[in-house]
Formats: sequence, structure tokens, C-alpha cells
Amino acid sequence: MSESGAIVTARGVVKTFEQGRVRAVDGVDLEVRSGEFVAIVGPSGCGKSTLLNLLGALDEPDDGTLLVGGHDLRSHRDLDHVRAIDVGLVFQLDNLLPTLSALENVEVPMVGVVRSARTRRERALELLGEVGMADRAGSRPPALSGGERQRVAIARALANEPSLLLADEPTGRLDSRTGARVLDLLDRIRSERGMTLVVVSHDPRVAARADRVVSMLDGRIVPT
Amino acid sequence: MSFVGLILKNLLRQGTRSVLTLLGISLGITTVVALGCVTAGMRSTAGSLATSGGADFMVAQEGASDLSFSRLPEGTVAEVAAVPGVRSAHGVVLHITQFGGNPYFFIMGRGREDITDNPLTLRAGRLPRSPEEGVFGTDAGVRVGQVVTIDRQRLRVVGIYEAASQWERAGAVVLLEVAQAMQRSPDTVTIVYVRVGPGADVEAVARRVDREVSGVVSIASAADYSKVDQGFAMLDAANLAISFLAVVIGGIGVMNTMVMSIFERTREIGVLRAVGWRRSRVLRMIVSESVFLCLGAGVLGAAMGAGIASLATRLPSVGGFLAPDYPARVFVQGFVVAIVVGLLGALYPAIRASRLTPMEALRHE
Repeated sequence: MSESGAIVTARGVVKTFEQGRVRAVDGVDLEVRSGEFVAIVGPSGCGKSTLLNLLGALDEPDDGTLLVGGHDLRSHRDLDHVRAIDVGLVFQLDNLLPTLSALENVEVPMVGVVRSARTRRERALELLGEVGMADRAGSRPPALSGGERQRVAIARALANEPSLLLADEPTGRLDSRTGARVLDLLDRIRSERGMTLVVVSHDPRVAARADRVVSMLDGRIVPT
Repeated sequence: MSFVGLILKNLLRQGTRSVLTLLGISLGITTVVALGCVTAGMRSTAGSLATSGGADFMVAQEGASDLSFSRLPEGTVAEVAAVPGVRSAHGVVLHITQFGGNPYFFIMGRGREDITDNPLTLRAGRLPRSPEEGVFGTDAGVRVGQVVTIDRQRLRVVGIYEAASQWERAGAVVLLEVAQAMQRSPDTVTIVYVRVGPGADVEAVARRVDREVSGVVSIASAADYSKVDQGFAMLDAANLAISFLAVVIGGIGVMNTMVMSIFERTREIGVLRAVGWRRSRVLRMIVSESVFLCLGAGVLGAAMGAGIASLATRLPSVGGFLAPDYPARVFVQGFVVAIVVGLLGALYPAIRASRLTPMEALRHE
């Protein structure tokens, strides 16, 4: 975290594709303070998911400065560690491993981080309890509903107790009622754990709940 | 969930494919193990021949392409006996012929003095005293008092002896001149059995015999057989070639399976990378899956190989002279082949998968 209390600091961040012809993120400046709930909104193709992927260390910026949890992601040698420890990711598609149970899916990020298998299991059970899925711990993803899968995915994102939770359209594939519940859950976890939450969404309810809304258009942040 | 647990689940998710791959690899390992067990049995048989009847080593004709083709003049026996360190030397004729259902029936022709000095362990009857008499091994399928004809020689079975080696148990001992007549080589012997004096170094005496008696070579163990028999070298070469083929064919099979598996799981690998798994962990996971699969094939192949070797030596045409041997090194060789197949087969798909960035993998449909 920086001295200003920002967990995310982006200065002139650029991400291009197709040999630079497509500037998906085009000089973004952004600061997210610790404990803040920020919604990134904008039309499809505006670059919001690309920006989230950069914040989650899934991709590397081509230019600019990007600090996440005090790590400079352009020069950091171990982005795997950043993804494992500092950042929790929730995708639009739950991206759970279909052959593993809900419990095992939550354990996956802890493999290689938490040595004791027993501790991994206990912590995973605790997290499933926190998202209201303890009774479905032994179920595999195909046997779960969309909302249940997303709740397991949230538990998985919390496995290594990250300080920053990033969610890409977490309600995008859910009906409005289930989506609202998932949103409630994310907001509750953020406030209970004092985490920072950045959500990319088309859903106006997300923007309504967020502390701050960041709008993007053509790869840039525009005034709301 | 453990790392190993995840590996096993990944293998079991495409159970049929994994089982078929396992079977394919295990066939190669079966061949390696079966051939290894049979070769080891042959070596063991050869080793027992070199020191049969309590001899310390045997002497054969130098340059003979096969031990059964060795021919030494009977005078060689006295020459060997005169070498310092030699306590006794007895010329023996080894004759292989067909008898009953056994196409490799071993007949050993021994001198009267040799038979008296180094008597066989008899289970029934007595030792032969005349050319019309013979003693047979416990597995030769005859009984005392029976009269048999071998190579136009009528022999009365006067005794049944016990022996450690299969070829002796399924063979017969007759007087030297009878075996020479069967072989139509009077005044020659196949080999000379040598006993060294008390305290003498067997290897040193054997080397001295090689030096001082012209045209002979000493054989103290199966390892020395290459001096008179290229069969083992050929079998070793065949085993090596089969191992190599098993590695190549098995490796391609495993690679095919793993490439398909990784392709189908590209998005999942992206998820693993997204939650912080390092490239090295992904690589280890894929290599471990492949090695686990091949170790399973190794277990199956080892069991099938040992079973086939056992079955093969029960055939009448083989069992008469060969008992299978199951040395640990043969199974180690089978498992080494399995592990090499697993590593080679996994190398390309594992490197390919570990090189994917999380985003490349997550975008995969």
C-alpha cells in the first residue's frame, strides 16, 4: 500500500493488442484507496475488463506505471505471487474446475501457499461457510446452480486472504435475484473483512452500491 | 485436496482414454520384462552349467561359436589337470537331442572315475556301471527299470537323480563313451570340468589354464559365456532394441494423450495460473500425470511380463532346459522404461501448457 493509502495506483497505463493497432487501455490514471468499493462501468469493448486483468496481474501493461498492493507490476518478477497472495479474482464465468468438489476448488489457490492439507481444508470449509455454501462442500460444479457456483468462486478468491478483490461481471450470467444476492455477498465480505473491491459491470445496481464509479470509453477513463 | 489428489482426479476424468493409454504402454513393458526374465533364466542356466557337479569352472574350445559346438581332444583333459593349482579335471560330453516331448534334452557323458569321484544325488536306484545304463533327472519323465532309446542307443534307467538346474533335472547322465557315440565324435569331449586345489584362487587358476593350454578358454560364470557363445549378446541387444522401441512408441502414445488432455483443459490451466499457480507447478502437475500413468503401466507390464515368462517356460519345448528367473534388475529396467516414457511423453505438452499466459489460457474456448 502506498503512503496515500492507495492499494491501486495507475499512471498512464497502456495496454495494446494486435501489434499496437488496438489500444484497449489508453493512458489510464486511477487510484483506489484501501477498503474502497469501486465500480468500473462502460460499454462493451471500452477496455474495462482489460484494465481489471492488468490490476489482477493476469496481463502486463505495455506502458505506464501500475502499483498494486505496493508491487510495481511492470517490473515485478513474480506476478504469480501477486495473483496468489495479494489479489483475489472472480470471473463472469465462475471458472471452477469441474472435476473437483466445491471444497477442493476453494483449496486450489492454497496449494503451494498453505503447506498443511488439514489447514487448507479447514480454511476452505470456513470460507464456504462464509458464502453460505458449507452444506454443498462436497458437490461438484455441474451439480450447482449459477449463483451457487459464483459463491464458491468468491470463496476461492478469498482463499489466501487477499487485500484486493477484483470481480469481472460477477452478476453477468445470473438472473436479477441471484445477481443481487451475489452482489450482497461481495459487499458484505468487503465490509466485514475491510477489503478493497473493484467490480467491472454493466449492472446499474453495482454502480449504485459502489463508493465510487469509474466510467471508461475507448480505453480511457471519462468523467461520470 | 492434495497435489497428488488433483493429479489422480485429472487422470480419472478421462478414464477410458487413460486406461487405453496405460494398456498400450504396458504392452511394451510386458515385452521388456518377459524377455528380461527369460534371458535371466538362460543366464542362470548357463551359470549352473559352468559349475555343474561342484566344479569351480569349465574349459571349452576357444573360438567355438556355441558351447555345444565345442570339441576338445581327450588329451586336453590331462593338459588341464597338469596346470598348477588344478586339483582335478574331468572331460564331459554335452549332447543335446530330442527325447519325449523335449527337443532340447541334455545328455551329459561322464567318465567312470568322474561319476565315482563326484557322485550325483540319487533319489532312486544307482549310478550307471555299463554303457547300456543311464541315470535320469527327476523331470525327465522316466522311471527306474524303464528301457528307452535315445539316438539309436538303448538305455536302461538305473537311477533317478536330483539337480538344482532345470536342464539337468530334465536330462540324463550316461558314461562318456556312450555320449561320444551319440555325438559320433570319439576321443573328444565338449568341455572339461575343473576343480582347484584348497586355497587356490579360481580366477587365477582359470587364467593360468587359458595361458598354458592352447586352444581353450575358461568359463567360470554366465558372464564369461560371451567367450564361446554370442547368444546372450544377441538377446541383450534385442532387449535393448525392444526397450528403445517401447520408449519411442509409448512416448508418442503418452504424448498424444497428454496433448489432447491439455488442449481440453487449457482454460482450467488458465484458472490455475490466475489463482497464482506458478508455471513450474503446472509443469510438474502435467509431468506427474504422465509419470503416474506410466508407472501404472509399469506395474501392469511387470505383472504381465512375469506371467508370460512363467507361461512360456511351462511349454514343453522350453521348460525342459529353462526355468524363468525374476531378478530385480529386470523389473527396475521395466520401471525405468515406464518413467522415461512418462517424462518424454509429457515434455512437449507440459512445456506448451506452462508457457501459456493466464490470459491466453482463459481466452481459450
